[in-house]
Amino acid sequence: MHANLQTAVRGRVWKFGDSIETDAINPYYRYPTMEELKLHTMEAYRPEFPKEVKPGDILVAGRNFGCGSSRPGLVLREVGIVAIIAESVARLFLRNSIARAIPIFMAPGITGIVEDGQLLEVDYPNRIVRSPASGASVELRAFPPLIEEIFAAGGLPEYAFQRYTREVRGS
Amino acid sequence: MPQTIAEKLFSRHNLAGTQVAAGDILEARIDGAMVHYHANEPMHDLALQAGFKDGLPRVWDRDRVFVLLDHHQPTLSQKQADENALVRREVDRLGIRCFHDSEPGIAHQMMADYGLMRPGELVVGNDSHTISYGAVNCGGIGITRADMLYVLLFGELWFQVPQSIKIVLNGRQPNYPIAKDIVLYLAGKYGDDFAGNMSIEYAGSLVPQLSVDSRMCLSAHGVEIGAKLAMFPFDETTERFIASRTQAPYEPVIADPGAVYEKEIALDVDQMPFVVAKPHQFGNVSPVAEVAGSPIQQAIIGSCANGRFEDIEIAARVLKGRKVARGVRFILSPASQQVYLQCVKAGLVESLLESGAQVVTPGCGVCQPKVGFLSDGESCITSTTRNFKGRKGSMKADIYLAGPLTVAAAALAGKIVDPREVFDAR
Repeated sequence: MHANLQTAVRGRVWKFGDSIETDAINPYYRYPTMEELKLHTMEAYRPEFPKEVKPGDILVAGRNFGCGSSRPGLVLREVGIVAIIAESVARLFLRNSIARAIPIFMAPGITGIVEDGQLLEVDYPNRIVRSPASGASVELRAFPPLIEEIFAAGGLPEYAFQRYTREVRGS
Repeated sequence: MPQTIAEKLFSRHNLAGTQVAAGDILEARIDGAMVHYHANEPMHDLALQAGFKDGLPRVWDRDRVFVLLDHHQPTLSQKQADENALVRREVDRLGIRCFHDSEPGIAHQMMADYGLMRPGELVVGNDSHTISYGAVNCGGIGITRADMLYVLLFGELWFQVPQSIKIVLNGRQPNYPIAKDIVLYLAGKYGDDFAGNMSIEYAGSLVPQLSVDSRMCLSAHGVEIGAKLAMFPFDETTERFIASRTQAPYEPVIADPGAVYEKEIALDVDQMPFVVAKPHQFGNVSPVAEVAGSPIQQAIIGSCANGRFEDIEIAARVLKGRKVARGVRFILSPASQQVYLQCVKAGLVESLLESGAQVVTPGCGVCQPKVGFLSDGESCITSTTRNFKGRKGSMKADIYLAGPLTVAAAALAGKIVDPREVFDAR
């Protein structure tokens, strides 16, 4: 199931630091199956994360989230994370997330408005992230139309399938 | 409007045919697609998931897709063997002509060895270190496996034109490779994402003195400082390198005078200390002097950053007539079969074996937990690309990144030392 950018979500925050690498997010060399990965994702930084994360939770991180190898963060969706919001995202992790329709947002200032364990509201339709506890908010920048179309298709492979089917039928 | 290398590269490849500038989103025409060991995903698994009942229905151009089974050659598990078998079937079914199957090595080095990427081209690969092709003025960009499915079908992909940063390297090439020290030093000084999402253009008086090996190290590590492209100017060194590998025509990409750079930084390499990245991040850099004396149990030279001839040659020079320290496992992995052969012909392998080093099969294994695992409490100094926690097995092991001279010096001393203690650095 892919996520819908056009629905606002509200969830509990797991807060991480800067330059969290894909080896920590997706350590597939040690844990080659998704079931194993789910038990170990992010443990390099917070051993309790895989044990305590709940469906509907939101991941907040500092700058350069997802640096390192080109690996998708599908496991984060599998453990229930519904949105990732970081000060900045490493380009390949951003590409991976867009291509697999994982809601990910770069929102400078986000780490200043919410603490670990607090609630956060992510409202892409209104281009805003808000902390109900403090009332503070930061703006979400709109994705270009092409990226919104990829999300709407459910990811880039699905978008490719739609285009291919259209072109083959049209020819 | 004067253009940077990135702006010119993307304008040249813009399907819409218009000039683009930093910040613009475009769909670009792809010149080459490097698909490595995860080829089974874009060709098969993701294709099925997307709705293609029989796998990927075609590739857009059978001569522009390069499949290399690098990470999984030779195979280390049943799973890898089965994945490779699937890739072989898919390559055959799709009629892909360039397939390096039974050859171990790092895909990026093999792309260089066989002249599969050329100046001015836009070549994508489903590996973060595809950026290394900038060393020969080729627009190498790392993409994802899902992006690759799109490229294989259509020969096109969306991009945002990056802003550009000019890194001016001045000074003299000493009698040992310094590319790794340069990028570590910069990451330590400016942060491990200071070139985030940007196109690096290297310039300065050092550049003409740099070998292609050193340029590939600097370009490969573009990703460790966040970059999308890491481009060297086209010069006589590039021209000679390409001419000895391919006769296919190409058009270098050159920045215009007056092009706009978001940032410009300069480094005088003559004043640069030997540095290491301490555990567990690339930007956690300090001068070697600060960690000198730290014992190590393993030393590694290899990877797409530092597994080339000059990296292995400096190790052989440091160890010549001497022995690896007792208790140290010194592992060298040439970046490709061609590099390995070059080292053998130059007598480096014989010399290294006499010193007690291990020379292992070319490939990516030494940079991942595949070859040379660490146990709890162990330390390793390595010229490979990353030092994240657990990258070499144990989550309780320490990984230091350093240039090949510093690694070889540590292998000799059994601890991290200033290389000048064991080598006449000039």
